[in-house]
Amino acid sequence: MILAAGSNPFIQFPGGAKWSIGFLGIFHVAVGSLAIGFAFVVTVLQLIAYFRKDNRYDLLAKRVQLWHVCIYNIGTINAIGLVFALSGLYPQFWAQIFTQFFWTLIVEETLFLMLATTLTLHYFFWDDMWGHKKLHIFMGAMLTPFFFLQFFIINGMGAYMLTPAFAEGQASLWSGTAGILGWDKLAFYNPSFLMLTLHRTAANFAYAGFVVAGVCGVLLYRAKREKIKAWYESGGRFAFKVAFISFLTLPIIGFFYAWVLKYHAKEAYDNLMVGRGDVVAGGVDWWWVKQLIVAAMVGMGLVFGYKGAKDKREFALPKSLVYTVGLLYLLFYVGMGAQMTWLFVWGSLGAVVAAGLWTVHLLNHHQGSGRAVFLTMGILSFLTVCLGGYVREASRPRFVNPSGQQQAGFNRIQQYSKVYHPAERPENIEMRMVRGTAPHVAELPERSPLVELPPETAADLVSARCISCHTLERIYRYKGTDWDRVVGRMKAYGTRLTGAEAAEIADYLAGGELQRNTSIDVNEALSSE
Amino acid sequence: MDLPVIETPVFPRWVWMEEITYSHIPIATLVTAYMLLAPVFEYIGYKRHDPRWERLSKALIWFAMILFSPGAALGTGIPMFIIGTYPEFWSRWANLFFWPLIAQFIFFLVEVFFLFFLYYLTWDAWQGAKKKLHIAMGVCAAISGYLVQIVWDSLGGYMLTPGNVALPGVDQPVAWSLPAMLNPSFPFLLFHRTFGNFSYVMLLTGGVLALRYMGQKRKDPNSENTQYFHWAAGICFIIGFFAFFAQPVIGWFYARVIQREAPVAFMAIMGGHSSPYFIAKMIAILILLVVGGTFVVKRYGSKSVAWAATAGLLIVLLIVIMHPPLMWLGQSAAAWRVVSTAVVLAIIGWLWRSRGRGDPDRKGWQWAMFVVGLAAFFAFAMGGFSREHIKSPDTVYGEIVKPEWTDYEADRYLVYQKWLEPQELLPIDLDRQRPESWRSEVGQARRDGLELTDEEAERIITYLEEHH
Repeated sequence: MILAAGSNPFIQFPGGAKWSIGFLGIFHVAVGSLAIGFAFVVTVLQLIAYFRKDNRYDLLAKRVQLWHVCIYNIGTINAIGLVFALSGLYPQFWAQIFTQFFWTLIVEETLFLMLATTLTLHYFFWDDMWGHKKLHIFMGAMLTPFFFLQFFIINGMGAYMLTPAFAEGQASLWSGTAGILGWDKLAFYNPSFLMLTLHRTAANFAYAGFVVAGVCGVLLYRAKREKIKAWYESGGRFAFKVAFISFLTLPIIGFFYAWVLKYHAKEAYDNLMVGRGDVVAGGVDWWWVKQLIVAAMVGMGLVFGYKGAKDKREFALPKSLVYTVGLLYLLFYVGMGAQMTWLFVWGSLGAVVAAGLWTVHLLNHHQGSGRAVFLTMGILSFLTVCLGGYVREASRPRFVNPSGQQQAGFNRIQQYSKVYHPAERPENIEMRMVRGTAPHVAELPERSPLVELPPETAADLVSARCISCHTLERIYRYKGTDWDRVVGRMKAYGTRLTGAEAAEIADYLAGGELQRNTSIDVNEALSSE
Repeated sequence: MDLPVIETPVFPRWVWMEEITYSHIPIATLVTAYMLLAPVFEYIGYKRHDPRWERLSKALIWFAMILFSPGAALGTGIPMFIIGTYPEFWSRWANLFFWPLIAQFIFFLVEVFFLFFLYYLTWDAWQGAKKKLHIAMGVCAAISGYLVQIVWDSLGGYMLTPGNVALPGVDQPVAWSLPAMLNPSFPFLLFHRTFGNFSYVMLLTGGVLALRYMGQKRKDPNSENTQYFHWAAGICFIIGFFAFFAQPVIGWFYARVIQREAPVAFMAIMGGHSSPYFIAKMIAILILLVVGGTFVVKRYGSKSVAWAATAGLLIVLLIVIMHPPLMWLGQSAAAWRVVSTAVVLAIIGWLWRSRGRGDPDRKGWQWAMFVVGLAAFFAFAMGGFSREHIKSPDTVYGEIVKPEWTDYEADRYLVYQKWLEPQELLPIDLDRQRPESWRSEVGQARRDGLELTDEEAERIITYLEEHH
């Protein structure tokens, strides 16, 4: 029997367990999201073909569905790999979360089977069902709700891992918040569940639309006959339009999603906003990279939309919509700049302008054909989906202290202590199944309220109160010395501070002793309590 | 960490587990067998310039493609169900076999890549000069699919015959163990399942194609389709029929390994509590041999086919009379051997008599082929079911007990382990005592040297008095 080195009681994976799970997870999300979007696009195309009596759309729908069948199976197998990898690398976490959400997962699996069967029948019997077109379209249309129900379940579990709120692993596991073991309702309907679901829904439509447009772009490059070229150009513009409209909703939903994170996963929110923790990897803030790619997509989409409207192209966006989108995004960047740093605004606007100019060049180069734009947007949307998934998972506070150094257990809040983390697993832990109720369950605490850590120093006060609304960056950048007035103004804006606390903060800031390391070591604080 | 036992509605947990597993395995085995056979058929068609082989090969792959997604979705359900209902077992098992599971995942991914993208999608495009390349892609898909089966048979074999490899705790990372993978029953399980797959899949396919033939014949007896289905049904059926004869030989060695490595499980199947399933399997095989054999010698009336069937049946006879514990006829080896010899010889005589007689293209015989296909499937399913059932109440033989074990199951296990095995008795011996004699029998055996603690002796006596 081959055992790992005694000093390390975990299975070793090349590159680290976290990266293997991250890779498999993101790959699965990218493929799964595309599958959801494909299902929707196929139905839309089939409906257009049916009502316009234009078989070209049906042909495109069949082609997209063939690719859907192929990638669907890759996604399925990837999910199996993810399950195996999690079982081996994080056995305690995985066994616990499976027991906690068992019935949810069984429902998800049932949907999965229905989906696989319906998809298979829909594609492989496409021609055989030609005489029953309405039934065939209905069958294809059922894929989207099946996918969404499945997606809904996975989002519940994924969101729980970021905002567990009042649900606590062992306690919820044994009490079953719905009175049924294996169905932790409270954990499932956690604070960020709704926003994550909405955000991912819109993103999936956008992503799949852009990828379909990208495929049309590739086919345009390869097509020889003018009629075929016109057909792919038309298909690409249609997919692009669907995608771009979905894409527009993302900053609005994203704003509310961030708002939820701010109150229920404060450190995750801070990690995203100020680039801390695993969000920064290899010296690169990947959340920023994602935002810059999104800005480039906005720039390309706006210019493409404007040119399409001007030249009165098929499926062109109305000019008014293009202007509205431009204004909306400008407001979004200004808002983000006020929250984060103005460098973000300039970077994003730069990306918008550069991508817009590049789009003008690409359109001119191809005599108005959108092939290069379709392809570029398809690639960029894939990158944003991958990076979005990555930063969401990486934002959970773990491993990293405020200085960016890896340190197990540092910088974690009480809720996360029940979500398994391998570095903190005690040695010689045993897993056993217990019928009835485990002896220790009576000793488990009732759902305890969140632990409010009393701020002890002025630095803690700054950390706890000031960066609830803005980043420390804002404090560093302030050149004045009138901290009394500044703190008073913050009180006027709504910061809850007693007179003594306000004075303490003002003295501290005026003394220039502000250090970056202002976070509270919660573990230490809890143990001292 | 203590985990609760989640109870399932309507049926006990193990029934649900088996239902999910047995809905996946027939699909997965069908896909694997089709993938292995399709490039071979395609190659034969290419060499013989016979388009019927090409058509059959493509049809197999088309059907494999249809089954693939639902099969994979069901396959995903198995670990999900096990992790939720048997988390301790799964975590420890996945700890022991982490790398094989990851390898299986990679093989599976490669399989999809070759099957979907390089074999199915390229079928029409890669004709002519690229035909050999296309066949090679099919071979690659088949190899990767078979590697998936190899991994699962290795891991499944471990659950019945763990050998000397203990199931590690969650805190004892192993990741992989060659002795555990090459456990004693692995090669026999692998080959038994491989030939079992070929046999049941081809017989069932032959049966279904026979029904298609019937349908086409009704429409137009002389059409190309009718001729094709007539040919395809026969060729699939005969492949399935003769592939079966490898089974008793491999099965005999497999049973010997189980007898040595998992004696309690062996007793369970050979006259013990799982023997009804085994007998049901044997009845299905008997139907397969008699009805299927009759069809084969009627349809292909040559002497060589009849001799091949005779040789196969003689192998079956040899295995049956050598099999040590199959002595259910009055506990007499001689009686068992005489009766089984008489039955097999009668079948051989019947086949020779039927050779070339009658019209095997009649409607009744097409239905008979289908029934034989179903019997083969039933035999296959019962084999898998009884293999998993004989470990009860263990999940991994001798290593971990299922959480819902009952006193009855535990006591029965103890009787097999501590009463029958040391005395070289069989489960049938338990039915030959009067109830009041068990206490004195056990007492006498202990005085004669049988090692039992007082508690074990009491449990054995109570069990035997209540049930025998």
